[in-house]
Amino acid sequence: MVKKKCFFGIKTDRQVDGDKMNAKLSQEVLAQGGENAAINACMQCGTCSGGCPNAERMDLLPRSLVLMVQRGEWEKVLKSQTLWLCSSCHTCTSRCPRGVRPTDVIEAVKAIAIREGIKNDSVRFNQIFVELIEKRGILFEPELMLKYGGLKALVDQAELGIKLTLKGKLSPFPPKVKEPKKFSEALTKAVKK
Amino acid sequence: MKYSYYPGCSLHSSAKEFDISTKVVMKELEIELEELQDWSCCGGSIAGGVDHNIGMALAARNVVLAQNQNQDLLAACSGCYNKSAKAAQALENEQERAKITSILTDMGMSVSNQKIKVRNVVDVLVNDLDIAPKIKKPLTGLKVACYYGCLLTRPADITGWDSPVFPMSLDKLAQKCGAEVVDFRSKTKCCGGPILVPQEEVAFEMTKKLLDEAKSLGADCIILACPLCSNNLELRQPDIEKKYNVNYNLPILYITELIGLALGIKPRKLGLDKHLVSTKPVLAKVS
Ligand code: SF4
Ligand code: SF4
Repeated sequence: MVKKKCFFGIKTDRQVDGDKMNAKLSQEVLAQGGENAAINACMQCGTCSGGCPNAERMDLLPRSLVLMVQRGEWEKVLKSQTLWLCSSCHTCTSRCPRGVRPTDVIEAVKAIAIREGIKNDSVRFNQIFVELIEKRGILFEPELMLKYGGLKALVDQAELGIKLTLKGKLSPFPPKVKEPKKFSEALTKAVKK
Repeated sequence: MKYSYYPGCSLHSSAKEFDISTKVVMKELEIELEELQDWSCCGGSIAGGVDHNIGMALAARNVVLAQNQNQDLLAACSGCYNKSAKAAQALENEQERAKITSILTDMGMSVSNQKIKVRNVVDVLVNDLDIAPKIKKPLTGLKVACYYGCLLTRPADITGWDSPVFPMSLDKLAQKCGAEVVDFRSKTKCCGGPILVPQEEVAFEMTKKLLDEAKSLGADCIILACPLCSNNLELRQPDIEKKYNVNYNLPILYITELIGLALGIKPRKLGLDKHLVSTKPVLAKVS
């Protein structure tokens, strides 16, 4: 294949790796809530990246990420740190002049990345968070900290925990919905589908 | 007017003063709140990024409970409000509705066609009610920075009652209370709440910028309506001070606490003693 030269050079994150493209990615993104994200309306203006509070730390800016999803560049997208740096602040979604919803695109890709087996602290935390909600319907924060960070986290957070307890903000009994079993089973079944 | 009131996980734990002050202030303004029976967590900004359908079902569950009561849903927490409003919108979409209904039916719930609105306390306070005639103790001399964060006003097609770019509702309410509102340019910048635990350093940096600006403007406190923001700004304030070797000691108050004070309600009745960063400097200024 003849390599096309570009006078200014194209940034690596925007180069197309034809052999790594995968149309299935766009379809899966749609299935994970991307139907309303208007991915194909993106005109690469960069407004989303311009307003993103975490852009400076991201390896793929929101604009490039949307492009990569459009093109189905599965590997680049799933490996990107952007997924875990995005704080779902919706600034990009609010500002996009084309009605694209990069926040929803990223949310969808995160769910796909987890299914594909991507592992890191953010994935672990998010999974434990959801697991605990599935269990009783209401979050019990000390349990979340213990499961995520182990005893060390509990020790690190002990001072805060004691202060909160003294203010009557931390109950020793985890709250729950009326029928946790039914609640939990319905959600587990939905994931398996 | 009567609402199904959805407190959510935080208002029953770390944000108890938001729960207490919302109830007291709404009662004073003759709005009846009936706590949503058997509510559950909305899934926050996290659940949808683990599994879309789980996220939707979690948020929709509370909306459906309110529908079955035939009452509008009122949330105080910005996150609960945002996710519930998003779910209410999804229930209007045939495909989404079918997926949600299947999960909720398995939970033993019935999904009706009842139409209800999902509202936020700030929206009701600024757009439905007139607090001005009820102000008994104007907070003259108090300088506040109003912080909106993300989920209260964004994205606009889900919220829609205030600008996502330059919101003013909290500013207006604080002004009605007699407080002086500083020009807080970071008022819509994210505090990093959803990524706090796994990306602590990043979140701390984001929160620090907010504290820095509020402090430099000479604000006596930050006013907000989100327990997640408050978690970063107040509960983790000592950690940020330690990490960056700075000293803020900046009280963080919920808008309902501020309004309660201006309505002449006793601070303890509003839960002001429940803060970890002492609210005494604020009280000293207004009494
Ligand atoms: S702001 Fe919208 S149109 Fe512009 S690059 Fe971002 S997603 Fe694409
Ligand atoms: S939602 Fe995510 S990508 Fe969009 S502006 Fe916020 S942090 Fe950046």
